[in-house]
Amino acid sequence: MFIISPWLLTAFVVFAASAFLGFAFRWQGQVRYWALAAGGLSGLLGTQLAMWPLAYCTFELERMWLDRFLGCLIVLVCTAFFLWISHWVISRLSVGEGLLPKAETYAGVFRSPLAPLLTALCLLPTLIILSIFHYYPLFQTFRLGTRLVRLGAPKTKFVCLDNYTSLFLDPNYWYSLGLTFVIALGVVTVAMSLGLLIAQMVNLPLRGANIYRALLIWPVAISPVVAGVLFQLLLNPVTGVVNHLLENSLGVRIPWLGHAGFATLSIVLTAAWNQMGFNILFFIAGLKNISPELLEAASIDGANAFQGFFRITLPLLSPFTFFLIVTNTIYAFFQTFGVIDILTRGGPVNATVSAMYRVYVVGVLGKDLGKAGAQSLVLLLIVVGITILQFRGSQERVSYGV
Amino acid sequence: MNLKQPLLALVLGLVLLSGFASSQTCTEASPCDITVWQIFADHRGDWIMDTATRFNDLYPQYNVVIENPGDYFAILDQYTLAQEQGNPPAIAQIFDAGLQFAADSGYFKYADDIIDGREEVLGQEVNFSDIVSPASSYYTIDGRWASVAWNTSTSISYANMDILKDVGINAIPTTWQELLSACEALQPKVDAGELEGCASWPFDNWFTEQWLAQMNQYLVNNENGRAERATELLLTTDEFLSIANFYRELFEKGYYVYTGTRRDWAGAGNLFNSGRVAFSLSSSADARNKVEAAKAGDFELATGKLIRNADYDYNGNIIGGATMWITAGLEPEVEEGAMAFLLFMNNTENSASFHTASGYIPIRNSSVELLQNLKSGNNVFWDVDNKSRTDIEGSNWYEINPNFLTASVQLAESNVNNASAGAKFGTFRETRDLIEAGMEDVMLNGKDPVQVFTAVKTESDKLLEDYNFLYTDN
Repeated sequence: MFIISPWLLTAFVVFAASAFLGFAFRWQGQVRYWALAAGGLSGLLGTQLAMWPLAYCTFELERMWLDRFLGCLIVLVCTAFFLWISHWVISRLSVGEGLLPKAETYAGVFRSPLAPLLTALCLLPTLIILSIFHYYPLFQTFRLGTRLVRLGAPKTKFVCLDNYTSLFLDPNYWYSLGLTFVIALGVVTVAMSLGLLIAQMVNLPLRGANIYRALLIWPVAISPVVAGVLFQLLLNPVTGVVNHLLENSLGVRIPWLGHAGFATLSIVLTAAWNQMGFNILFFIAGLKNISPELLEAASIDGANAFQGFFRITLPLLSPFTFFLIVTNTIYAFFQTFGVIDILTRGGPVNATVSAMYRVYVVGVLGKDLGKAGAQSLVLLLIVVGITILQFRGSQERVSYGV
Repeated sequence: MNLKQPLLALVLGLVLLSGFASSQTCTEASPCDITVWQIFADHRGDWIMDTATRFNDLYPQYNVVIENPGDYFAILDQYTLAQEQGNPPAIAQIFDAGLQFAADSGYFKYADDIIDGREEVLGQEVNFSDIVSPASSYYTIDGRWASVAWNTSTSISYANMDILKDVGINAIPTTWQELLSACEALQPKVDAGELEGCASWPFDNWFTEQWLAQMNQYLVNNENGRAERATELLLTTDEFLSIANFYRELFEKGYYVYTGTRRDWAGAGNLFNSGRVAFSLSSSADARNKVEAAKAGDFELATGKLIRNADYDYNGNIIGGATMWITAGLEPEVEEGAMAFLLFMNNTENSASFHTASGYIPIRNSSVELLQNLKSGNNVFWDVDNKSRTDIEGSNWYEINPNFLTASVQLAESNVNNASAGAKFGTFRETRDLIEAGMEDVMLNGKDPVQVFTAVKTESDKLLEDYNFLYTDN
């Protein structure tokens, strides 16, 4: 039994979407029927796509409010997607433009009526690869998330959105998410600021600068797992070098891996060290791109070294900085997994189980592919969200030209 | 570039390869590989390599390859993945906690089905009635051998008697209560920095399971899952909670040194072997390691039955260790070779030899007899340094090495019932993780055991319910 019948739901969405698009394209108080029709179609497709893998299970009577809320949200997102396409198509058509982009007509552009087709043909291989290796697995991951699946088990069972809703209600999952953001913030801050500092230093005309550069970039060639092993040897509370030095000089021993806060710090430091070479590499490239005349002119105008750095170098590095923030965030979200596995295995008492590590614990160790699928999808949405936010936020501040 | 020739070569190569694959015959010229996944990377790994070489010499049509993907947990996880990818090894060493899963998975062919009533396979004698009873009661499923028994141990106590005698304790502690008072006596030494702490052992749920068996308590319902499929964890019994409280007391008083990671067998072993703690618990399979460490560190080693909770009558101890499972769907010839290798590895001489190399109990009654009546030319003693077998002076191994007898005595004194047979349920592997995490929470963070283990029980029960749904017909 459903709390709202699937027919009624579909009818409502079709009506709402139709009204929305009709309203958007009303013209001099007149209703445009094809806009209404396109809106209705969008609503129909949106509901069907959203409920295809779910079979309206979120609206069954015994489900809780969270299931219904998520069900509505998915319908809304899917419908919005189709509305967006309809809106775009109608906008183009109503101002008399074709659906394909017009070939621009400056010199050097391949001019042919078939040009758009050629474009599509050239993009096709990438699209095929993306579809096979990204979009299809993505859809499968969502489907896995709606089932009780155990690696190797002969049966599976449809469980609606239980794997997703249980995440919302699990305080341990919220802890993991929070921890992931802390680690990401730490890694991005440490790896980027130290990376820039070092890049600035080795960019100075020193004797043997090339050697320093090579040595400093080296850590990037080391996999996170190996970095973990190295720092495990350094930070081991009983036999580690760091504690040996600390004890001899200051008389203290720090439980680097045995205390929740220090263990998180150890992970951040290890991951930052591992990622720093990458940042140095890009920052050096960025610094080489800045023409010395600009800094020279500034210094003639009376700017000191700090002003030169903050007013000239930093703004000109912004494309690199932006790129690095995105890649470092992604690194911190996904790649720190190897560091955690080697350094703490999520301990002490699960204090360093990040969201990605939890996927491993649940999916690989616990063999619960359904729950792991749900979690990785949540993780994906977060990273996509962060990236969009970063793109938005940095549009004004990143300048790609001088 | 002319691509015709390389393409032709590729096609030809593929045709040839497929031709070979379809008509597999194991010959001396092209022996069939038999891959074995096992956990040992130390001198016990040397022993099995040596045994594989002996087998390969006897059966040149086979090539047994010994691989070490990691510990028991890693083998179970990676074997599952290898199966899903269609590339499993011929033989996998699956530990006690994997018993129900291995039986349910359909990945393996029962040993009894391969033997099919024969008395020998490729000249290797079967005679499973010779297997010692603790192993046969643990590993047989409905009276049938699903796998071939191999490394079987039990957990025992180890003590550094030089340190204990220093504070006037002349016998190894046998109960929790005795250990607590011994630790109290040792505390001045710890405070003075002479010791890291009183005791350390791997933070492994195996000991918890042992203590439950000692107190005649089940870990799961339906008589430890042996009467019927288990459906529920028993984590809030007085017996279970007494273990949590024992850990908390040991840790709060500073007696127990925690290395910081669970199941850190190497870390806890190092603390004891280097004389930085006086007392340890470990597998009897660690006996050889500890004997060698005592020799190197020049201290007096004592072994005793696993310490128990004196508030309860002693019931018995469980065995631990693993058995060897043969993958289903192998080529018949490879399957025969795999079974022959396992029978060879576990024959009377080899199983006696493995006992001397490790401390795992001799898996056959005839091996015990052999060890009590050694003659020159038996060549069962494993020489760790030279990685080879030699004779040893004397005729009774247990008189020469009394520490190797402790495990057998402990198992002989155990009552045989479903509490001491050990738990059997499908999510044992995952549940071990959950219980250990809960135990850590109680010990390190001082949480309330009832609260913690009520939550762990809820989570474990859900896992088991899901498992039972997915692996059974109802």
